[in-house]
Amino acid sequence: MDEEETAGYSEPCAQCAAVDWGLSEEGRFFCKSCHNVIERTKEVMDLTFIQGANRISTLGRKSKTETAGGRHTWMVCEGFQFILMNQADALLRLGVHPHFKDGVLRQLWRLYLQKSRQAYCVNRVRSAKFRVGDADSDSDSAAEASVASASGTDGESNPCSSPSSKGGSDWSGSADSLCYLTPRQRRSHRLLSLKKTLALIHLALVWSREALTLSDLLGLVNCGSVPYVKAHEQLPEQMKLFGKDALLFNAETVPSHRSLHKEAQDLLLFLQLPAFPPISQQTLLHPGPLSLRYLIDANLPGELHRWVCRVAELAGLFHESSQTFHPESQPTLPRYDLQAAALIIVTMKLLFGLDDHTEWELSNNARSTDGEGAQFNLRRWYKLMQTALNRAQQKRDQDTARRQWRAKKPIFMRKKEKWWIMKKKRVAEQLQMCFEKLSSQPSGPKDVTTSSFKFCWGEQKGADGPSLHHTLLDGVVGLKDDLLTPHHHSYWHSSLRPCKPRCQNHFTDLKNTLPNSFIWLLELFCFILDVKPSCLYEEVLSVERRVFAPPTDRARLRNRTETRTRHSAQTSGES
Amino acid sequence: MDDLEKELNPREDMENDDDDDADDSCDNSSRKEGSSFKLDLIQPICQKTLHENGFHQSVRLCLEYIREAMLHHRWLEAAEYMASYAQILEDRVNLTAQQYKELVWRISTEILHHHPKSTMDDYNVIYERMKHSGFKHYLKISLEHSFHLMLHGQIEAAKQKLSEAESWRHGKETTSQYQMTKLIQAYRSLLDYIIWYEKKSMLSGNDSFESDSQGMQNYYRQASINLKEILSNPGVWDPFILSYVTMLEFKEDQEEALEVLNKYAYDDSFPPNPNAHVFLYQYLKRHDASQKKLKRVLKTLHFLVPSHELMLEYFSLLLQSGSKKDHQKAVEVVLDMLDFACWRSNLDVWKCLQNSIQNLQTGEDWKSFVEEKMAVRKEWWPALHYTKFHAMKDSEENPELLKVKASLISALCPDRTLKYSVELESCQE
Repeated sequence: MDEEETAGYSEPCAQCAAVDWGLSEEGRFFCKSCHNVIERTKEVMDLTFIQGANRISTLGRKSKTETAGGRHTWMVCEGFQFILMNQADALLRLGVHPHFKDGVLRQLWRLYLQKSRQAYCVNRVRSAKFRVGDADSDSDSAAEASVASASGTDGESNPCSSPSSKGGSDWSGSADSLCYLTPRQRRSHRLLSLKKTLALIHLALVWSREALTLSDLLGLVNCGSVPYVKAHEQLPEQMKLFGKDALLFNAETVPSHRSLHKEAQDLLLFLQLPAFPPISQQTLLHPGPLSLRYLIDANLPGELHRWVCRVAELAGLFHESSQTFHPESQPTLPRYDLQAAALIIVTMKLLFGLDDHTEWELSNNARSTDGEGAQFNLRRWYKLMQTALNRAQQKRDQDTARRQWRAKKPIFMRKKEKWWIMKKKRVAEQLQMCFEKLSSQPSGPKDVTTSSFKFCWGEQKGADGPSLHHTLLDGVVGLKDDLLTPHHHSYWHSSLRPCKPRCQNHFTDLKNTLPNSFIWLLELFCFILDVKPSCLYEEVLSVERRVFAPPTDRARLRNRTETRTRHSAQTSGES
Repeated sequence: MDDLEKELNPREDMENDDDDDADDSCDNSSRKEGSSFKLDLIQPICQKTLHENGFHQSVRLCLEYIREAMLHHRWLEAAEYMASYAQILEDRVNLTAQQYKELVWRISTEILHHHPKSTMDDYNVIYERMKHSGFKHYLKISLEHSFHLMLHGQIEAAKQKLSEAESWRHGKETTSQYQMTKLIQAYRSLLDYIIWYEKKSMLSGNDSFESDSQGMQNYYRQASINLKEILSNPGVWDPFILSYVTMLEFKEDQEEALEVLNKYAYDDSFPPNPNAHVFLYQYLKRHDASQKKLKRVLKTLHFLVPSHELMLEYFSLLLQSGSKKDHQKAVEVVLDMLDFACWRSNLDVWKCLQNSIQNLQTGEDWKSFVEEKMAVRKEWWPALHYTKFHAMKDSEENPELLKVKASLISALCPDRTLKYSVELESCQE
């Protein structure tokens, strides 16, 4: 027993020159042969302490010769490439077709690198300090780097003047993160960032016409299925991250829908992509199928789908040319999810009024609500939906509260902050362990499921309520002159005149004047898509603008979309 | 990503991101202005600030949930959320770090107090971790930790913690937390005393008192030196002075004890403390001091706290003395006691009053004296003691009291017809 505790000490005893130490009861060292007690004591360590927890850990200054063997120099774009591919693999695991990654994403990535002159080009962007042996061979191999060859490509370019061996502001793990952050680079907006990788993925998804919308992608990022916040943990061991890398690879927030869409839009223009593959009615991103998906999720009757498609036609959004990106005719990337939701809202407004009065009257007139030929009763639907929405909203808030943002291996901005960051981390971890033990549950969100549907309707266990998908709209629409027309004859809308381009969104100002049912429906779809109500409101307005466009505009729309619209819905609005 | 925006000059990127962020924050209807690292002034912790990133949003929500759970005494749930909240300590923004550390410390200990499965180990972990996580509250947490250990009987461990804390030095912090250091010293000496006392009581059974006298001496010396020093500071040190006096008594150092007690009681720089006089009186009584001394101490006590229970002893002392002045003073003392509602139904006090009045009545012109004393009390004394309600109550609970009180009416309030007596007549009939 004593040997273990005194094992480290091997000085000969002063009196008898033997090396045979024992530990007395008070913790003092004594020589077993001559019982000489020396001053050395074994410190009583609190068992709950981690060894050396409070001591400053020494930071070894690695000599310059060691950099070649211990650490590998790597470029920022390599790091991001790893992250991008990891994210793509995560999506493949969730069921996306492999063509998305191999065919589309890689091409887009290479195109991006070429356009931003980080690789695949003759005059690469690099700092004066960083000397590269052969520009062409480097750029070819950079993008092909796999884990094993990461060291090989840059091995020869390990210069003595490499920024990574200096302390101070030049200190960073990657070789060129410093030149990455020069003012000129910043202004050109070609900076790689985690947001950009997500934007690239979104573009690739749209190109390969996968069913994932932008809000689905963000949902996957938020629940952790697609690595984002802790993406840098999955980089290979040889890539050490510190210094200025922290600015690039640390993420403490997931971008919002709006900002990510803007990023994707900018990227589109930057890459000067050709026209995308057409989004036809069979594609799941098209308003037709997508609105059906949202109708199912919101437990609305399937009969509404026909009306939604009709409204989409009216707005000129049904034809594939309005849904597909084209550099000349359709230069903005459509927000498919917002569009579909807005179409549903407009249809609901059309059929039910949503002015806090008509819809309740209509539901009063509804007949029996069960069995065959059941009618859709808005009041019943509202009650079901409200309880489910409250529950889901609460669960989402709880998951947000429990979410863990801190990575296991933090990236240090400056050398001197390393020790106190690690110390704080240890404290936090100990605290966490203590409370996890108490509550016998791991920290972090509970029961995370990745599903594109937010609600589950039906009779099975765990469902949010009975499904109203099969109900009929008999109380709301009827036959008139052999045409199905809604019983409700008027349509209200807010001012449709678009504001000056830089004007702020007016939703917060108007919120008090709008009917409660409308606001509630907005908020329902905002929960399903995880966007802000103001964004959705804007989209609703833009759909209404298209539907009620003046004749000249409508002719323009008609020519553009090459559709003959048929006004089967009677509206009286401002035309 | 957010670090990126902070590090780079935000003004250049502002114009380009204006749309973006203006729309993002359009729920708070105010425009984004200036830099993103505008320092926030002190704000309530649960409030949402502008430009809150995902991490801050998560911890803010977590704190709200913890608060809800604690307010509703759902301790298990609070512990769960606390596990997820620990990441706040890793926040890179140092501005409000102190606030959060204190928050975490206090919330954790509170949860541990109420959680059914918490153990001493958990407490130790929390206290140790939080203690070393910052300079401003090291001493405070050390003190609380040792209090906790003391309350759970771990005296040795408590003393060890306090010794560690005592030897802590950190430049300016030490001087700014001077008072805390004093407290720590005081409690450490108190713990030394407790240990010494325990050892003494253990050893008093044995005849060999000399064993471990070295250790005992050590404790004694450490405790007494520090206690003496602490007691020289003005303040309220009741438990400390008692322990010091006990130790001095054991060593039979009477003068020192008396000096200390006198200083504690009579020094003007100390806040007025009736207990000081009580301690002094008890000490003097233990050591058979003269009646004159005792009376003098009790006189000051009477001035400070007329309703003290030691007033009965004072009364008996005064009555024993034999001088008329003292007898008159005795009456005064008892009347002062009865001014307070807590003695209202106490038979002893009333009997004392009866005795003293009877005593006076043997002398001359007692009436004028009594009248003089009752003059200030005429308006409210009857309402305090002699109402019909009191009569009914007393007749139910304590008939003897009724008699005693009734007999005094004629002496105390001769010119008032009180319902008390009326009731008595009706009862007797």
